[in-house]
Amino acid sequence: MISFASFPSTSEASASYAQARHPPEVEEELGMDLDEDDFDEGVQRLTVPGEPITSSHAFMRGHGTFVDNEEVIASVAGTVERVNKLITVRAVRSRYNPEVGDLVVGRITEVQPRRWKVDANSRQDAVLMLSSVNLPGGVQRRKLESDELQMRTFFEEGDLLVAEVQAFFSDGAMSLHTRSLRYGKLRNGQLVSVPPILIRRLKSHFVALPCGVDLILGLNGYIWVSKHVKESEQEGEEGFDAEAVYSNRNDVIDDATRIAISRVSNIIKVLAAHFVPLTDTVLLEAYEWVVDQESHVKDLLHDEFGEHLVASLGVGIRQ
Amino acid sequence: MTSALVSKAERAYIQASLQATPPLRGDGRGLLDFRTVFLETGVAPLANGSARLNIGKMAHEGGGGTEILAATKLEVEDVETGDGVDGGRIVCSVSCSPSAYSHLSSNALDELQYDLTVILQQTIAHPSLHPQNLTIIPRKKSWLLNLDVLILADSGNVVDAVFMAARAALWDTKVPRTRAVEYHAPEEIQTMRDSAGAMDIDQREAIPQASGFDTREMVRTAADFELPDYWDEGEVLNGRERWPLCVTLNLLPPTHFLDATLSEEASVPSRMHLAFSFGKPNASKLQSMRLSGPGELDLSQIKAYIADGEKYACDLFNALEAKLRDEDARRNVKARNKFALR
Repeated sequence: MISFASFPSTSEASASYAQARHPPEVEEELGMDLDEDDFDEGVQRLTVPGEPITSSHAFMRGHGTFVDNEEVIASVAGTVERVNKLITVRAVRSRYNPEVGDLVVGRITEVQPRRWKVDANSRQDAVLMLSSVNLPGGVQRRKLESDELQMRTFFEEGDLLVAEVQAFFSDGAMSLHTRSLRYGKLRNGQLVSVPPILIRRLKSHFVALPCGVDLILGLNGYIWVSKHVKESEQEGEEGFDAEAVYSNRNDVIDDATRIAISRVSNIIKVLAAHFVPLTDTVLLEAYEWVVDQESHVKDLLHDEFGEHLVASLGVGIRQ
Repeated sequence: MTSALVSKAERAYIQASLQATPPLRGDGRGLLDFRTVFLETGVAPLANGSARLNIGKMAHEGGGGTEILAATKLEVEDVETGDGVDGGRIVCSVSCSPSAYSHLSSNALDELQYDLTVILQQTIAHPSLHPQNLTIIPRKKSWLLNLDVLILADSGNVVDAVFMAARAALWDTKVPRTRAVEYHAPEEIQTMRDSAGAMDIDQREAIPQASGFDTREMVRTAADFELPDYWDEGEVLNGRERWPLCVTLNLLPPTHFLDATLSEEASVPSRMHLAFSFGKPNASKLQSMRLSGPGELDLSQIKAYIADGEKYACDLFNALEAKLRDEDARRNVKARNKFALR
């Protein structure tokens, strides 16, 4: 089974998008010269690369901008932000910009003395120190030389983990920690990657869908889709079981759960392709819609089906 | 070939899903389903033939998928000075964009490029597939066909994608029409003929004494060529139906599957690349075969895999053939519209 298609034609797109359309309130703003008042709160201004934003006499250039001919010009596509006299453009598509306290999903790329290097979709690899993971034999324990020698029994290259951003190093690399029972090695599922900007900050990034699927929405754009684990059965509830926490073996997963995991992964991919911000409510609504359609999992990969899915969410996204 | 990193738990999950009954893949496809292939020919205006191919991206997604750009360029070579070969030759090269393999060091990237180049060169430049119309003037000038393939992004199944893109670019290739030019030097020929007995080897001996209108023999004496002004870009490569296609069987005993994603590639022990050529209808030829990975296979298994592979390759061939003909039609319409607008 193979199907060929043409690339989405650019000429078609340019016909319908020849004129930029904006919401009415933005439309009014567009024709005006830029003064200080233009950066009022609530009005999001979008830029394209090379677009003049304002005069460099009145403002300072920040990230995502450069100065040419006494004008501050956007160097990326994104939204304009202003802090006093500083103008920055926040790019729509970029690598993940970490902030302390963010929940991220990462993958070990290297094991180094007393630390792991973690790919977290950021500009630099993150660092996970041996001192910031839970060690076997109790949370409050000094790390020993023997722990250093067996670092690969905790995490080895390729392993996925969920962690929190703890601090930054002087070069801007982030330091992670997994000192919570909810953090640690990931298993029983698969990874989906989306642009980081699509992950909204939520009350909790651990989402349990009613179809028996758990989601971890990493703020770095990595999403872990796995089999649901009951609260009471989570590892390390009573005491700390290193065997279970650092295990590489999957539990027994039935076919229905596997299909649900695939379906949720595909929904995430479709929503990301249509650039829909992901929250737990949107995902839940989308999942219910897909189940209502009684479709096969691979139907989601079809273009039209994906468009219908996004159209059906119309209301939910804006709320 | 290059394994992206996967954790043991991910690998176990993928393997268990594939071996379940019924088998299930991470994105819900069947074992023999390809992701949607996007293909466009004639993307590089300065090339003699070109194609862009993407496997596996969503239609409106900005990035994603395995993205390949293939282009051919013809170059004139002098046979007499020794750098050319009579009848023309084909040189293939595959380059990988470092952004597609950001986890590889530059040495590893070079090795990968070399590996892919060898697979493509050995299959495409094989004498049995050589097109007949790469000669300009026999024994004097010929075309050198450069086939360059650029891998812009890799999300699995690169070898199949490279072959598909190469086939589309070669299908699209137009060889410019040439006309041989002869330098007339009647006196010299006359003197030559007089002393013909004394000279052992002289091509010009064969010059006909017949009418000057007869140009059949002219090619023999032709010294150079010119490009006639003609309405199209040239003629297509001779035998363009023969260009091979590759299917990669990802072997996870007892099953196998097609069009693996990166994480699936990393979780199967071995792969088999089979390149088939379909010269005549219902007559396929196995052009090359390569087994990669640490696994081992029985001879009987290999036979079964080849038989299966031929079936898949045939489906792939038919689908690609239809798409390429569609593309030709689309570009004709486009060219006509452009002309009408003028």
